[in-house]
Amino acid sequence: MSKISRRDLLQYIGAGGIGVAGGVLYGEGVQRKVELLIPQVIPPEDYSPGVATWYNTVCNQCSAGCGISVRIREGKAKKIEGNPVHPVSRGRLCARGQAGLNVLYNPDRIRTPLQSADRGSENTAEISWDDALTTIGSRIGRLKIEGNAGRIRLLTGRTRGHLDELFAQFMNLLGSEHYQQYDFTYPSALAAANKTSFGTDVLPYYDIENADFLLSFGADYLGTWLSPVHYSLAYGNLRQGRQGQRGKTVQIEPRMSLSGAAADEWIAARPGTEGLFALGIAHVLVSSGSYTGNDRDEWSSALQAYSPSMVSAETEVSEDTIVRIAEEFGASTASLAIAGGATAAGTNAVASVVAVNALNHLAGNLGKPGGVILNSAQAFPAAAGSSPAGLQGALDLVAAMQAGDVEVLLVHDTNPVFSLPHNVGFRQAMENVPLIVALSSFHDETTAMADFILPTNTYLESWGDDVPDPGVGFPVTSLSQPVVAPLYDTLPVGDIILSLARQIGGELPIHMPWASMEEFIKDRWREEYDERMSEGQDQNFEAFWQAVLEAGVWGQPGAAAGGQPESSSSPTIAAIADPVSKFAGDETDYPFVLHPYLTATFLDGRGANLPWLQELPDPMTSVVYGSWAELNPVTADELGIEEGDVLEIESPAGSIRVPAFIFPAIRPGVVAVPIGQGHTSYGRYASDRGINPIHIVATLMDKQSGDLAWAATRVKVTNTGERLRIVKTDGVTRTLGRQILGPGNDHG
Amino acid sequence: MSTFVEKLRQYSKPGYYDEFDYHWTMTIDLDRCTGCEACVVACQAENNLPIVGEERFAQSREIKWIRIERYWEGEYPNIKMGFIPMLCQHCDDAPCETACPVYATYHNQDGLNTQIYNRCIGTRTCAVYCPYEVRYFNWFTYTWDEPLEQQLNPDVSVREKGVMEKCTFCIQRIRIAKDNAKDDDRRRVRDGEVVPACVQSCPTEAMLFGNSKDPEAKVSKMMKNTRGYTVLEELNTTPSIVYLKKVHA
Amino acid sequence: MFDHGQPSYAEVNKDILSTMLETGPKYWMLLGMTMSVAGICFFMPWIYQLFVGVGAAGMNHNAVWGSYLSNFIFWIGLSHSGTLLSAVLHITNSPWRKSIYRSAEAMTLFSLMTATLFVMVHLGRVWFVHWSFPIPNQMGLWPNFRSPLMFDVMAITTYLTASSIFIYMGSVPDFAAVRDASTGLRRRLYTIFSFGWRGTAREWHTLGWAYTFFAVFVIPLAVSVHSIVSWDFALSAVPGFHHTIFAPYFVCGAIYSGTAGIVTVMYCLRKFLGFERYIGQVHLDSLGKLLITLSLIWSYINILELFTTWFGGTSFELEALSFRLTGFYAPLYWEMLIFCAFVPLLMLFKKIRWSWNKMLLISILINIGMLTERFIIVATSQPRKFLPDSFGYYVPSWIEISISVGSFAIFVTLFLIFIKWVPAISIYEVKETLKPLRRNV
Repeated sequence: MSKISRRDLLQYIGAGGIGVAGGVLYGEGVQRKVELLIPQVIPPEDYSPGVATWYNTVCNQCSAGCGISVRIREGKAKKIEGNPVHPVSRGRLCARGQAGLNVLYNPDRIRTPLQSADRGSENTAEISWDDALTTIGSRIGRLKIEGNAGRIRLLTGRTRGHLDELFAQFMNLLGSEHYQQYDFTYPSALAAANKTSFGTDVLPYYDIENADFLLSFGADYLGTWLSPVHYSLAYGNLRQGRQGQRGKTVQIEPRMSLSGAAADEWIAARPGTEGLFALGIAHVLVSSGSYTGNDRDEWSSALQAYSPSMVSAETEVSEDTIVRIAEEFGASTASLAIAGGATAAGTNAVASVVAVNALNHLAGNLGKPGGVILNSAQAFPAAAGSSPAGLQGALDLVAAMQAGDVEVLLVHDTNPVFSLPHNVGFRQAMENVPLIVALSSFHDETTAMADFILPTNTYLESWGDDVPDPGVGFPVTSLSQPVVAPLYDTLPVGDIILSLARQIGGELPIHMPWASMEEFIKDRWREEYDERMSEGQDQNFEAFWQAVLEAGVWGQPGAAAGGQPESSSSPTIAAIADPVSKFAGDETDYPFVLHPYLTATFLDGRGANLPWLQELPDPMTSVVYGSWAELNPVTADELGIEEGDVLEIESPAGSIRVPAFIFPAIRPGVVAVPIGQGHTSYGRYASDRGINPIHIVATLMDKQSGDLAWAATRVKVTNTGERLRIVKTDGVTRTLGRQILGPGNDHG
Repeated sequence: MSTFVEKLRQYSKPGYYDEFDYHWTMTIDLDRCTGCEACVVACQAENNLPIVGEERFAQSREIKWIRIERYWEGEYPNIKMGFIPMLCQHCDDAPCETACPVYATYHNQDGLNTQIYNRCIGTRTCAVYCPYEVRYFNWFTYTWDEPLEQQLNPDVSVREKGVMEKCTFCIQRIRIAKDNAKDDDRRRVRDGEVVPACVQSCPTEAMLFGNSKDPEAKVSKMMKNTRGYTVLEELNTTPSIVYLKKVHA
Repeated sequence: MFDHGQPSYAEVNKDILSTMLETGPKYWMLLGMTMSVAGICFFMPWIYQLFVGVGAAGMNHNAVWGSYLSNFIFWIGLSHSGTLLSAVLHITNSPWRKSIYRSAEAMTLFSLMTATLFVMVHLGRVWFVHWSFPIPNQMGLWPNFRSPLMFDVMAITTYLTASSIFIYMGSVPDFAAVRDASTGLRRRLYTIFSFGWRGTAREWHTLGWAYTFFAVFVIPLAVSVHSIVSWDFALSAVPGFHHTIFAPYFVCGAIYSGTAGIVTVMYCLRKFLGFERYIGQVHLDSLGKLLITLSLIWSYINILELFTTWFGGTSFELEALSFRLTGFYAPLYWEMLIFCAFVPLLMLFKKIRWSWNKMLLISILINIGMLTERFIIVATSQPRKFLPDSFGYYVPSWIEISISVGSFAIFVTLFLIFIKWVPAISIYEVKETLKPLRRNV
């Protein structure tokens, strides 16, 4: 080593000193952003430092359509709570809804329009809105002029309200019939079954609150089913809301969900036979004379085959249990049966749900408090009627893409690459599409395939309206408004569509003259107000508009519901002929049934990029930040599997590797894997974390509804010998005789 | 000297706390609770709880002022799950309060067990003494990925490394309600005027919060429910949270 | 008393002072080594921890106290025998005390300092540690005197002060001896240190009186210090901490480990400073017997603890106990039992008791066992508290292990500095034991 002279040393010290001083100056002067308490000379309205303002809008974290209130301080959103006057959320909100702030302030949001240099890579370049819209608009315009508008497709997630109308109108004006929705969580089977049972595909209102006996076939109404916040409060009131009367709940599902944990009785029938279980109960109801309708004989003959002994043999639930539940169900004044989850995801989904609906009919609780109350067809806005098309729709789109029939694909708010089985080949099919435009706030697996990514405002920065589906028994429309100024160079999705319409020209701007989504919605509301809503009101539209903006919701609690359900038995009897689900995969080769389940946090994976939800212990297992496969302790023992052993789960459609979790409340022979993780490109919190069980689901579908039968895949499980630590917060989940849950409630 | 003695006497007077208007109390009905964890996120949003990351979770260093504990009963197929939300019990005879050498934690006149972050020197004795394990220590100074910090609640301080923190019963909300009451010339806040974030969010209305010194308050009535009990009663900590046990039908 | 014949007064002075006045390169090497180990293993990780937070250590929500506190108890315990033993033996007038008490007291002082360092390392915000002292301030804020930690602060500061005064007072005549044997700066310094000691009868009388007074004063203090340290734990309701036996348990354990520590230190003094003439078999034998006695008491208390836990029969205590006996740290528990309850029984054999090497080994094993004991108390109780859902585990991080290792280097460093500043064996008291001067024996 060379010697350092005194002179050098002094130089080093000097240089170091200057460096430190420079660093300090940089830190003090350059780096520190100038932040003012009030950012403008003239402060915006409703903006006083230190005082919080609450804005009511609509939650978009799932399809329930809860009304929310957002607390704003100094122009920043601080907290989301349920809107107390909104009939869906009733002032309450679930974990997912509250994590909406993580959507707004997510560090991984797309901040400017992007053009992808090559698909599937992260290689994108910023582009101006003008350039992006001109390029896309001219491309679409050319197709329109050429008469090839049918080669333009619009695929969105579940969209309701006037945004749905805007999409439909845009595509209509272009001359394309191909506006479709895909949402993994949309209960297509339920809608189709209700059409059969009640003659309307509007989802009914299940009055859990006033029920005495709730029989749920796989419906996790407390976690993921239809409208969990609404039903949670309903459940609370079912239990303790009525003096001296406590409703009972029974849950039938192969793996205990939140609702199963809450239930008084949890029954794990053989997967795929839930519909048969319902028919067994129906058989008892009819044969015991509990049902006294005119068409008793028809029912009797239709249900003849489903004697408790036969059902017991198939479902592997004891005969006594079937009879006892049937008797309790029949004897309760307000008994309610609901279906969802795996029950509505077999190859016979509609048949199963119809069978469950039949129970409601046989117990005579249609249209009664504590029963099934039909919602009227969407009162307002009238146009909001599109429904996701399920697997069949996706397959059609894939076929079209493969055949080269799709020239432009617009994708918004849906992630089919992630939430469809690999076998569907959505991603591969996308490669045949010359132009893919993603309208999205985040990068995800689908936007990764896009040529242009147009960043949209989050729902907290957008105008919109929504009709909750299922409704609450009376007409309700919610209004959503931006609660903060847009954070980045993004646009509301409606504005993008309107801009595109102007860009394309022709008759589009004439029929879609609005400058923005706000203007469009207000215009539509004005029309509706003049036509219908103004009845009995003595205020002008502006006052009405202001009032609705403040309340965040407009409703007619007194208005009539959807009327008495049809009580005709023939369609039901015809539909229930197929009570047992079929499975992909041979039982000998694939001894386990795969039970992928929606989690209350991530739903179909859309919540995985929100850090609060990643950090939220799973309600049943307390696992955070990862995937796991649940096995019954007995099964695990037989296979010599311990928690953390990496399992290879192989289905006829593919395989995944995931650590095992020994879960005491799952049927032996079933392996349950939560849906939501396994993203490859969904921001820093979700990417490269866990696995996605949907990918190995076989592409079986329920014929009647065209929905993916995601609970009808058999798998085999092998221990790879590798280990992966499952990160969870629970220590020992037995009370060890300590009376933690109350005197006498010491769980052994 | 005599004034000092007088002061001492005043402090040791039995019923000292009775002179004050509030005793904040919470009831949690386990028959309603579904373990959905909405309260956990509500608390995280309201009280600026850090996002700690997977590694810290693996080290059991998460910070959750309210958590859901899970207890299984029985074996498959006759298996049941019991959820119990666990948060600071605001014990009237709190073991943690005697433990702190610097009075960073003390009992205030509203019956709250309060934590003064600025006074805390991080001995962590309170956390050892707490039978409910609801005190969380800042093992690190946590940061938020930009722009997540814009969400931080300006009414609640962000804690630095080395201090203990725990549920405050959303003391900032109590403060605001008291200020409002004062502005309206009311002596006490109305029943239901103060709602901590967890209680507010609870989708099943399992939680109820109020002033148990007001016999008309909902919470006072709920406390008298025959299902009511306090967790670890045998330790004589006299918690301010009364649980209502689940009914086993 | 003396294994190698009785030395003369001059020889005593020469032997003992030479260790101070003559310093070879070996000493500097050793000092350099221990200082670097202390710096690298203790201070550097600590500074790192100060920057990132206590999270650098392995503690977590289920065990917020970790090895820092178990080390703290260990060092407090080690501090115990020095002053206590010295005082007890002084009062009981045991002649064999005289050649070992100075080092024993120094051990007390330095282990107390090391223990205090561990408090600092343990704290989340050590920069505010002064808040735990009753310093008048404009905020009118006082520490919480109900807190056992506050008792600790009081007890340890008092003990540290009293021990310092005790050791200093006993050293004054020796400082005078150093003064007389040296020149230059050292002479001037020791003139100040020795308070102008001239060795008059009046001075001797005052010293003897004050020394005895302090000896009496220090004994209850020493007992109280470790009782109070035990209350840090026993005053909580935590299963495994909440035992009435804890105070005597800790005191006994402290004296036990301290006495074993003295054996180790004596071995080193003999070996490295050439004090064979002054530290002999009689010391070893007496300490050996004392160790056996303490070991038996310690074992008895351990059995009692097990028994009362089992007899109490609460789910909490039984779970904590079964975790201790069979859980993750069970091997450490059994190691502790072997080292502290069974190995010392070997000292019943005179052959072993009289062998310096074997005694060194046993003394080190005892202290390893005692270090483990403290770790087990801290690490196995907290993760098994009341709510099973919050059961966890705790494994020390490398930072903690490194700091624990470094603390020994700090202790040795302090000791090495000490032997150059203070005669490691009391010159005047050794002289008292020389035959010609013995009166009334």
